[in-house]
Amino acid sequence: MTTSPTATAENIIEVKDLTVGYGSNIVLQNLNFSVKRGEVFVILGGSGCGKSSLLKNMIGLYDPPKGSVLIEGQDIVTAAGTERQNILTRFGVMYQQGALFGSMSLLENVRLFLEEYTQLSDDEMSLIARCKLDLVGLLPFEAFMPSEISGGMQKRAAIARAMALDPDILFLDEPSAGLDPITSAELDQTILSISRNLGITFVVVTHELPSIYTIADRIIMLDKNTKGIIAEGDPRWLREHSDNPQVRRFFNRGADIALTENNLHPETLPA
Amino acid sequence: MPINNNHNALADWQSEGVRATLKLTGHFNAHTLGGLWSKTRNDQTAWLKSNDASTQLSIDLAQVSYLDGAGIAFIIDLKHAQEAAGGSFTLLNLDARYEPLINQYQPVNNLFPTDDSDHHDRTNLIERVGKGMYELAEDAKLQTVFVGQIASSIGWAVRYPRQVRWNDFINVAVEAGVAALPIVSLVAFLIGVILAFQSAIGLKQFGAETFVANLVSLSIFRELGPLMTAILLAGRSSAAFAAEIGTMTVNNEVDALVTGGIDPIRFLVLPRMLAGLLVAPILSLFSDLIGIFAASLTMLAYQIPFVTFYEAVLKTIHVNDIMSGLTKSLLFGLIIAGVGCLRGMQTGTGAAAVGLSATRAVVSSLILIVMVDGLFAYISYKTGF
Repeated sequence: MTTSPTATAENIIEVKDLTVGYGSNIVLQNLNFSVKRGEVFVILGGSGCGKSSLLKNMIGLYDPPKGSVLIEGQDIVTAAGTERQNILTRFGVMYQQGALFGSMSLLENVRLFLEEYTQLSDDEMSLIARCKLDLVGLLPFEAFMPSEISGGMQKRAAIARAMALDPDILFLDEPSAGLDPITSAELDQTILSISRNLGITFVVVTHELPSIYTIADRIIMLDKNTKGIIAEGDPRWLREHSDNPQVRRFFNRGADIALTENNLHPETLPA
Repeated sequence: MPINNNHNALADWQSEGVRATLKLTGHFNAHTLGGLWSKTRNDQTAWLKSNDASTQLSIDLAQVSYLDGAGIAFIIDLKHAQEAAGGSFTLLNLDARYEPLINQYQPVNNLFPTDDSDHHDRTNLIERVGKGMYELAEDAKLQTVFVGQIASSIGWAVRYPRQVRWNDFINVAVEAGVAALPIVSLVAFLIGVILAFQSAIGLKQFGAETFVANLVSLSIFRELGPLMTAILLAGRSSAAFAAEIGTMTVNNEVDALVTGGIDPIRFLVLPRMLAGLLVAPILSLFSDLIGIFAASLTMLAYQIPFVTFYEAVLKTIHVNDIMSGLTKSLLFGLIIAGVGCLRGMQTGTGAAAVGLSATRAVVSSLILIVMVDGLFAYISYKTGF
């Protein structure tokens, strides 16, 4: 594994000996890594290497066969009841497809968690929700239903919903997939500004290289074959200095990985 | 559920004439602001009301340890109210890192929509009635087209029977038919018992309990057997078809069929229609027999033996009665499968649309079933079938 030099800071998430998978179908084994407070942490890897599964283990949706995930010192794997509820309000999640509630307008979607967890008045909750929608550029669409807006807009609304309670940590599953480059770049700026100004920690699963270079403070790269982490650290440093050819190919958009994975022979391809 | 929050926030409101100061202390987030926000805004509103002249509000943030998005929304709310009243607003000792967060909401007025900003059109009664009528006509048109499509696909199935998806047909028939046996038996049994008891109570007054068999068997074979089965099927299978095809529509699976050159009517609707056609009469016959059996059991309580009961049933029921009931069942089967599939294909987008389709499938099936039943009663009366 290649590791770039990093500064020391308080760990907000610690993943210890985590195994991801179920039964005999183990996707990732004995993962150990930590996310530092305030950083933008990106999880990378090819398709099917278990990035999304890892994320689902980290947010407590799946119970891992082995290991622990400490969020601000509390293990989400073993937590139950109020303790678990308290951990759950520390982070927000944006799912790959947005997962907005179809029967509610965008404003209601963002307001939902405020209604559930705070004692603010209706107007106050709406104002907070509007601020979140404004952050992702969807304020003019607050009264729209999720089915009335595009897929990219649904994702942005989902990010707004994830931020409703101003959590310490935001988990984003493929935030820029399905967004045009300009919107995607704007979203990156939003992430950076929130991260810098509010000190919110981001854990992002993405493959978008431009986005990674813009937002990522640190990355881990997962690998399907070794079922583990093959690189950890600053992506810009890893691109230049990693001794693992697979890591360098990923960062340099090498095509030969895709060819070997698909068992294609380069000579059969058109020139 | 309010969350246990260890942080505290304080807001100290001081006003003197046209000048007011708000001193904020502590950690401001969505939890700590509950109550505090409303109270401060009320103080501000009261103060603004009592001063017509240009007011000056300054907020001192020197003691603020943390300000999240909710805290910023709170400050924006105060600023907006101040500016709306024509007053001035200053932030003192604002930590530089919060400045861009407050300034990113420009113009602030956008965050405070007026009531008419709802993009959904407001319509008056006449417009709504007109729209409703138009939609009804459109729906009728769609249904007619759908009937045509189904008829043509059945014709196609007769011409090319090998191309019909018989595996799907069997799966659907098992799910809609065999799996429905327990509930159909239960309902048919209870209907038989209830019907026998109810008619026996009336007929006993005339000493005519032996005629219960005639009454019950006629009503079950001609009416109740097919009707109850159809209602159960509408609730189970019509909703299931609508939900399944509806989810496929939402997931673009139906679009994938169309762009792949496969007619969704033949691929999805036809196997279900054929299964409905097969299953409804069989279930209906099954429920007739269970109902009669239940009635005969009930009549044992009135000292009418099985043999007497069955003799009476055989004398009353003619092939015509059974055929009439089964023909109706066949039509009900068509309606249930057809309406379920049609509503599924008409599904909009989103999870709520699938639920709506399932509901509409059941409601439309029931309405059509009752209408066809009424029509049949009239035809039977006129023709004796």
